[in-house]
Amino acid sequence: MEVNGTLIWYYNICKREVWLMSRNIVPDQHNENIDLGKFLHENSFSRKKKEISFGSVKFDVILDTKDKLVIGETKKSSKYEAASKWQMMFYLKTLKDAGINAEGVMLYPEEKRRDEVLLDDTSIQTLNNMILDINSIIEKEEPPKAEKCKYCKNCGYLEYCYA
Amino acid sequence: MKKDIYIFNGGKLVRKDNTLLFESVEGKKYIPVNNVESIYIFGEVDINKSLLEFLCTNEIVLHFYNYYEYYIGSFYPRECLNSGFVTLRQSEFYIDYNKRLFIAKQFIDGSVKNIIQVLRYYNSRSADLSQEIEEILQMLDSLSSQETIEQAMAIEGNIREKYYKCFNKIINDKAFTFTSRTKRPPKDKINSLISFGNSMLYTIVLSQIYQTNLDPRIGYLHTTNNRRFSLNLDLAEIFKPIIVDRTIFSVINKKIITAKDFNKDLGGIILKDEGRMKFVKEFNDKLETTIKHPSLENKVSYKRLIRLEAYKLQKHITEGEVYEPFIARW
Ligand code: SF4
Repeated sequence: MEVNGTLIWYYNICKREVWLMSRNIVPDQHNENIDLGKFLHENSFSRKKKEISFGSVKFDVILDTKDKLVIGETKKSSKYEAASKWQMMFYLKTLKDAGINAEGVMLYPEEKRRDEVLLDDTSIQTLNNMILDINSIIEKEEPPKAEKCKYCKNCGYLEYCYA
Repeated sequence: MKKDIYIFNGGKLVRKDNTLLFESVEGKKYIPVNNVESIYIFGEVDINKSLLEFLCTNEIVLHFYNYYEYYIGSFYPRECLNSGFVTLRQSEFYIDYNKRLFIAKQFIDGSVKNIIQVLRYYNSRSADLSQEIEEILQMLDSLSSQETIEQAMAIEGNIREKYYKCFNKIINDKAFTFTSRTKRPPKDKINSLISFGNSMLYTIVLSQIYQTNLDPRIGYLHTTNNRRFSLNLDLAEIFKPIIVDRTIFSVINKKIITAKDFNKDLGGIILKDEGRMKFVKEFNDKLETTIKHPSLENKVSYKRLIRLEAYKLQKHITEGEVYEPFIARW
């Protein structure tokens, strides 16, 4: 299975989710309280004309004054900060592999925050390790056991995991 | 939380832009599609293909009932939650006889333990059922040593017979005396209620299975042959005593349903439309009742418990997490 941005995102939330997603065991779609659904929704329809799309995820393209490519992603809150950042890194790396150097910026308008995301050698190394680890999780016959974490409360798998 | 819609009147159910519209002599009623989980049709209702397509996109299951046989069938839209992996595992657990036997016995075990809970409740209140509880417990003891599903089912059959006899001590209306279980058609009022209640539960469970990755055609206790759906019958076993039977006791003992709610027809006794409506209301109230769940922090409804039960079974076959049936605590 090819690792994509969505799996990178899940990996940084909960490793069990990675395995479940890989088997097409999808979270409860009808539960309005879950963030995951909102996350997918937020990212799955086009907002502006100038955007770049990776599967279901679309980014706004921002052109810097120095004609450097910057991709921007707007989020409601920074609750999933790390996961979003690594997902962005993954896309920057995908662009880089295609010969395009780009930078990222995460925008949290409601928190009046703006974080730059830069791809460097260390982050490329970290991403490569993540991809290896994701593959080894997916290869396993059974998923990692559910472990209560701060993301469980708003996770679409909550009832599935703790039934 | 999405709702189930029950239609008792005759009329026409159509798609109207992005909502459902039910037209009858009483007027028009719009139903926002996003709030609907399943639709239960009891009346003479006309539908068309465009409606079915719309229900399919919105992943809504449609269940049809008629006057004589109660349940006739369901429109089960193509699976929205498809996982080849889960389906393969589900089949594997069917084909491997020991794995199948284990699951089948767990369903019976759960069903009988819930029967005992129901009896204990009435034993502590009005009826003296200690003797019967003792006997059922003894019969349950021999379940684990049974080597075939048929043998296990035979034990369950004996237990159920004893259990239904207890109804006469629980129900305080002589019009509802139980003699023996008769199905097609039910020969007396209590059988008619049991048949109707059970068929309601089968469809509710089917709708819940639709929300999981499980395939309802592969059951473990009830044989898969000749039937389109069987896993819902399996899971329903666990919930019959606590959902259907308790509803029956309350509609009779509270005199919500009386002898006047039945018709004698074609050699059988059939619940009239109005009786059905009253039963469905009580039944639905029961499904919405919430209880505290041991491992989830919030309260869950009985309807939700059915879904959780399906999840547990799914995890049994995909994660090696041993399936333990839900047992009511009172
Ligand atoms: S509920 Fe918790 S353990 Fe289960 S998938 Fe979600 S985050 Fe992971």
